[in-house]
Amino acid sequence: MKISVSIAIALSLTVCLTSPGMAMYFPTDSCEYEIKGQILDVETEQPIPFATLLVEGTQKGVAADDQGAFVLDHLCEKEYNLIFSSVGYKTVKHHHDWHHGKIKIYLTPSVSTLESVVVEGEEVVGGLASVSLETMDRADLATKTTQSLASAISDISGVTLISTGTNVQLPVIHGLYGNRILIINNGVKHGFQNWGIDHAPEIDLTSANRIRVLKGAAGVQYGPEGLGGAVVVEGDPLLLSKKLYGNVATGYQSNGQGYHAQGQFGRGYEKFSYHVGAKHIRVGDRHAPNYMLTNSGMNELSANVGLRYHLPGWDFKVYYSYVQQELGLLRSSVAESGPLFIRSLAAEEPLFVREFSYQINEPKQTTTHHLANATVDWYTEVGKLSLLLSQQINHRDEFDVRRNANLPIIDLDLFTTQTLLTWDHTAFHGLEGRIGFQFFYQDNNNNPGTGTTPYIPNYNTYRGSAFVIESLQKNNTTYELGLRVDYEFNSVRGRELNQDLFRNTYDFTNVTGSLGMVHDFSQQLQLRVNVGSAWRAPNMAELYSFGQHRFKTQFGLWRYYADEEGRLRTDRVLTEEDGTSEYERGYKWINELALNKDGNQLTLTAYANLIDNFIFDRPIAVIGTIRGPMPVFIFDQTDALFLGTDLTYTREWNPNWESTLGVSYLWSQNLSKNEPLINQPPINTQAEVAWNMPAFFSLDRSKLTVQGVYTFQQFQAPRTIPPTQLISGEVVVTTDSEIFDFKDAPEGYFLGNVRWEWQRGALGGQLEVRNVFNTAYRDYLNQMRYFADDPGRNFLFSIQYKF
Amino acid sequence: MSMLNSAKKYGLYTLLLGGALLASCDTEDPEPENEVEVFTDVTLIFTNNADASDVVRASAQDPDGTGVQELVIEDEITLTAGATYTLTFEILNALDADDVEDLGDEILEEDNEHQFFFQFTDGAFSNPAGNGNFDDASEGVNYNDQDENDHNVGLSTEWTAGDAQTGSSFRVRLQHQPDVKTGSTGVNDGDTDFDLDFVLNIQ
Repeated sequence: MKISVSIAIALSLTVCLTSPGMAMYFPTDSCEYEIKGQILDVETEQPIPFATLLVEGTQKGVAADDQGAFVLDHLCEKEYNLIFSSVGYKTVKHHHDWHHGKIKIYLTPSVSTLESVVVEGEEVVGGLASVSLETMDRADLATKTTQSLASAISDISGVTLISTGTNVQLPVIHGLYGNRILIINNGVKHGFQNWGIDHAPEIDLTSANRIRVLKGAAGVQYGPEGLGGAVVVEGDPLLLSKKLYGNVATGYQSNGQGYHAQGQFGRGYEKFSYHVGAKHIRVGDRHAPNYMLTNSGMNELSANVGLRYHLPGWDFKVYYSYVQQELGLLRSSVAESGPLFIRSLAAEEPLFVREFSYQINEPKQTTTHHLANATVDWYTEVGKLSLLLSQQINHRDEFDVRRNANLPIIDLDLFTTQTLLTWDHTAFHGLEGRIGFQFFYQDNNNNPGTGTTPYIPNYNTYRGSAFVIESLQKNNTTYELGLRVDYEFNSVRGRELNQDLFRNTYDFTNVTGSLGMVHDFSQQLQLRVNVGSAWRAPNMAELYSFGQHRFKTQFGLWRYYADEEGRLRTDRVLTEEDGTSEYERGYKWINELALNKDGNQLTLTAYANLIDNFIFDRPIAVIGTIRGPMPVFIFDQTDALFLGTDLTYTREWNPNWESTLGVSYLWSQNLSKNEPLINQPPINTQAEVAWNMPAFFSLDRSKLTVQGVYTFQQFQAPRTIPPTQLISGEVVVTTDSEIFDFKDAPEGYFLGNVRWEWQRGALGGQLEVRNVFNTAYRDYLNQMRYFADDPGRNFLFSIQYKF
Repeated sequence: MSMLNSAKKYGLYTLLLGGALLASCDTEDPEPENEVEVFTDVTLIFTNNADASDVVRASAQDPDGTGVQELVIEDEITLTAGATYTLTFEILNALDADDVEDLGDEILEEDNEHQFFFQFTDGAFSNPAGNGNFDDASEGVNYNDQDENDHNVGLSTEWTAGDAQTGSSFRVRLQHQPDVKTGSTGVNDGDTDFDLDFVLNIQ
């Protein structure tokens, strides 16, 4: 612990001592700025040779080469308005800051009603290039507007989703999910009730301009908990000097008779820009191929607004977003009593099936989420200094089927405050990077009146962190190093069943690091290697959950213990003194080989992730209660190893035909007990063929995509013990017994999907059929697999007008 | 220990830096809740219709509710052959010994969502005959009370003990049937509030 404190001091000293000295290494001749970029056709994404670039108000300009690339150097100012043009294309004006990296300019043919666009590159930040990264931009996201965040990114290899029914979906990266995946929304950690697998982040996909998925140890930059990786959601970039832009869209889906409408627009002036967006989506009861999934509807409303004010060298940004959700959970997933759980498990068809309805009854979740950010960026000679202040308010009510169904069984307010100060320093002896300080505060309160002992306690978490990530480029290799120190303090207040108060305070100090390398063997072949550590404090649900919620009776690590005979006991609240519940510590080693040659793109990823004190949720017993025998789940802790590989191969046969093949394989093991883990993603394979169809009728372009996905049965699932065998005493289980599940892992299944997108001027649309063959299947990672099939065939129509 | 303290101290400095930005940092205690869902004690009360002082009580207890402590059936039911009894219930939540709650009233208030079902050794009673209404909800139990829709509830039922026997069984189950209960819903519809199996003796 002493070491970590010294490092923290050393870090702050580094900042104080080096900053004045560093200025010496920056150009004394101020005319050394340059702008690099490439000019492309928006439709074909092919370079436009010899397009021209002019600096507004000057005679300065340059022509691109035959690859559309240009370099404009010997510039004396840091900011310019640039004008890009080419014969047959619409001219576009762009306000450029020198600190933005390479820009891409997409020019639109003059005949089109669309405007040309400019995409700014990454800001100059090192340190994350060696982490396996996938990016989805607005065009990718536009085909997925009605999907959840997790579902939208689940096409990425190595990424899948774990769900509780149709409305609650969380991303899984390389077998890890829940709060082992950091969700970063507009620069800050999304502050929500992130526990269990029945709470999804309240983020509207249409508010995102770009989503980046980091599959390595991203914790050094983004904070603890990112053992599996991070999902980084970025809002509109609020570009200056931009004509009014935006879109309106609406759509319908047959399964659930869902409809949605959304709109967004923005405009950039010389010094000021804004962006506004809103969406509403409503879906009724979904249906599986053979029956209705009663109470699986949802209703979501969201809005967001971003403002930017620009002064030379300064940027001021404000962002606000609001999301309101009402999410139904499958009615048949409620089992207040063991006998009903047993009958539900055995039933061919869910026990509660009703006619279609938009009505959302219990069990359901309602949440509202406010996010407000203010950012100040200051561009100086020594780099960019950035201060971000953020406040989030998350209110969540959950309703169960019970006698007092009108009362929420969970009623929580969560306040999250974050302050982030970062310095992206300019190159120093070839070293580029970011130094940052972060303060995180979270206050969780139970609202009275639930008529039940709080499932998770009130708590306050304070965390102070310092980090540094640096990268150094030597020839064809970039080396990266990251280091982070966190100190976290928790204060907890809860109630026991007899309403006696319990209190606890505890803290953690941690050092994490990452080491990476990117090596370019040639223009076509690149290798990334990253080794990183990450840590995570057990969350409140993992420590303190107590009681029954939906079909589970669940006990946290500090709410149960085993007596001398290995029998479960729950009569007292434990503390850190009892020696259970160490924090999780993960070490992830990830290697990625990328080949891009002659229309072949091959990405091969191999990783190993060792997690000490891995916390997981597992069935443990069936106990006798006044309601009859009840299934009981506990949080358990062990050392676990995850080994896996992802392969993606894309082949462009010709400009119109493209095919993609993907395979994800993960092997995981409980090392302490040498047995399988539970709820781990099975092997997944997918194949896709896309055809860019020639113009026909009056369509400018259209694209047909056919996709087949086969998900294997989870061969690594725990053994099955039906609850009846536990009740009859046929099988006796203690806390030391081998892990089991109440039901077999579902069989493998094949899903077919077809999508047709078209564009005619500013008007575009798509027609999609998901689960074309109306396959009846259950997904191993859907908690509802105990009770019902997943949804059947779904036709989705949408139409969009873009301006 | 001193190492820990110094780490805490430096940590707290960091926190104070950021903490200055916060409006409030107070830690509130959660309010005590009235557990409305948990039954800990269920007592069956058989009162002899001919002699109000002849009362037979049989209890079952699960003192920690949702905790893992097993349910205990504390008493056997011993009735007099040929006597007619009215069966009523005492249903308590005694998780908090200082604030014991009677849930019988709540069930009465929501009687259109609740029904008691019974199963017993065939012929244990001369009236009702048979083995109860687990297998067929429509017959086999003498209900004294009905809800607003004229469907049986079972907070009060009538029983005439049959011939002398020992070690027979008497099982009672309270089903919670919100939006489900009709005249024909049975023991497997809705969800179980309690399900208790007593030993029945008749002498």
